[in-house]
Amino acid sequence: MLEIKIHDESCRGCELCVDVCPTDVLAFDKVAHKATIQNVGDCIACLSCAFICPSGAITHSNIHHVKNFYRDLDFCRRVERFL
Amino acid sequence: MGAEKATLNTDWLSACGGCHVALVDLHEKILDVIGAVNIQHCPVLTDIKGYPKADIGILTGAVRNEHDRHAAEAMRASCDVVIAFGTCAVYGGLTGASLAHCREEILDRVYVNNKTTLTHEAPTSQVALLEKLVTPIDEVIDVDLYLPGCPPHASFIFEALSSLLEKRPPEASDRSVCARCRRKMVKTDVSAIKANHEGMPDAETCFLSQGYVCLGSVTLDRCHSACTNQGIPCTGCAGPTLQVLTEPTHDLRTEVSERMSKLTAIPYADLMAAMERAAKTHYAYAMATKMIGDKPTFLINKWIEDVEAEDESNDHH
Repeated sequence: MLEIKIHDESCRGCELCVDVCPTDVLAFDKVAHKATIQNVGDCIACLSCAFICPSGAITHSNIHHVKNFYRDLDFCRRVERFL
Repeated sequence: MGAEKATLNTDWLSACGGCHVALVDLHEKILDVIGAVNIQHCPVLTDIKGYPKADIGILTGAVRNEHDRHAAEAMRASCDVVIAFGTCAVYGGLTGASLAHCREEILDRVYVNNKTTLTHEAPTSQVALLEKLVTPIDEVIDVDLYLPGCPPHASFIFEALSSLLEKRPPEASDRSVCARCRRKMVKTDVSAIKANHEGMPDAETCFLSQGYVCLGSVTLDRCHSACTNQGIPCTGCAGPTLQVLTEPTHDLRTEVSERMSKLTAIPYADLMAAMERAAKTHYAYAMATKMIGDKPTFLINKWIEDVEAEDESNDHH
């Protein structure tokens, strides 16, 4: 089952993930000023929210990873060795 | 840390020296490190000129001259694991920003036509010969691990060294500077970009929401968001996020402009143009690495020409 996690401390409350989601998976908690997950079942794993998040706070697991053949594999291997 | 002492070599290429100071910035934790590690070649702590065999090698700075290239090769030959330590070592860093000018321009400005020096010729001896370009060290030698940061915050240094000595994977997140910034992001009707010296930014609100260009969202957190939490917009000193590095169409200016145009009433095109105008500043820390320099979206020569043409036409009017 697909899972989405928002690293709560890292959410700055910009709402951009809520705006960008095509299937209204995310909602905004005005009191806490943070994004929350509302309908995880509707997620199509487009990862738009993860890409727009300024903090890099949103992660998806159990999704089909599309092989991004346009990426430079050498650069990708390098970033795997970051401390 | 392990019972048997590991050996450590460090060396200092073209850099400001701040990364070596950061090692001492471990404060009392430096005692744990000294307890676990024998420090051998280390320009600021020991007087060992050669490169004894070592388990771990820490290299700071970029390759800019003949000495740097020799030292990097000697470190690779003597150390089992080489860490590119600090933004200059990983991406070329601030030394890499000199790529916006050619070697002749730099030598001319520094030695020949420098108003603050008495001599007017470039040195031909004593000073190592300047290479044509700045090279991040992984294009000269094989690098095993990377720790960006200008300098990396002590907690990342300690975690990196501890994980190596304990032979476990390090706990390093790939979140950005925004993740540890305490400012709130809000949507505003701000319609103009502000320079850093204009006005007094609100301490609780995100710089982007207020019209200030801040690189926090495109910069890897290896600093605990020290600047933004103290009232200074991020200049991107720890280098780009992994998303910007690995996605060919993602770029510092496109990502910042996209987020900022959605938070404020400033048009996306205006933000892009402003960031291109100041590209020498915004891309300063990472332009020397191929991961940024080879991007199809990175057109620094065109941006510099555009600014020069604009300045020239303003002069004529």
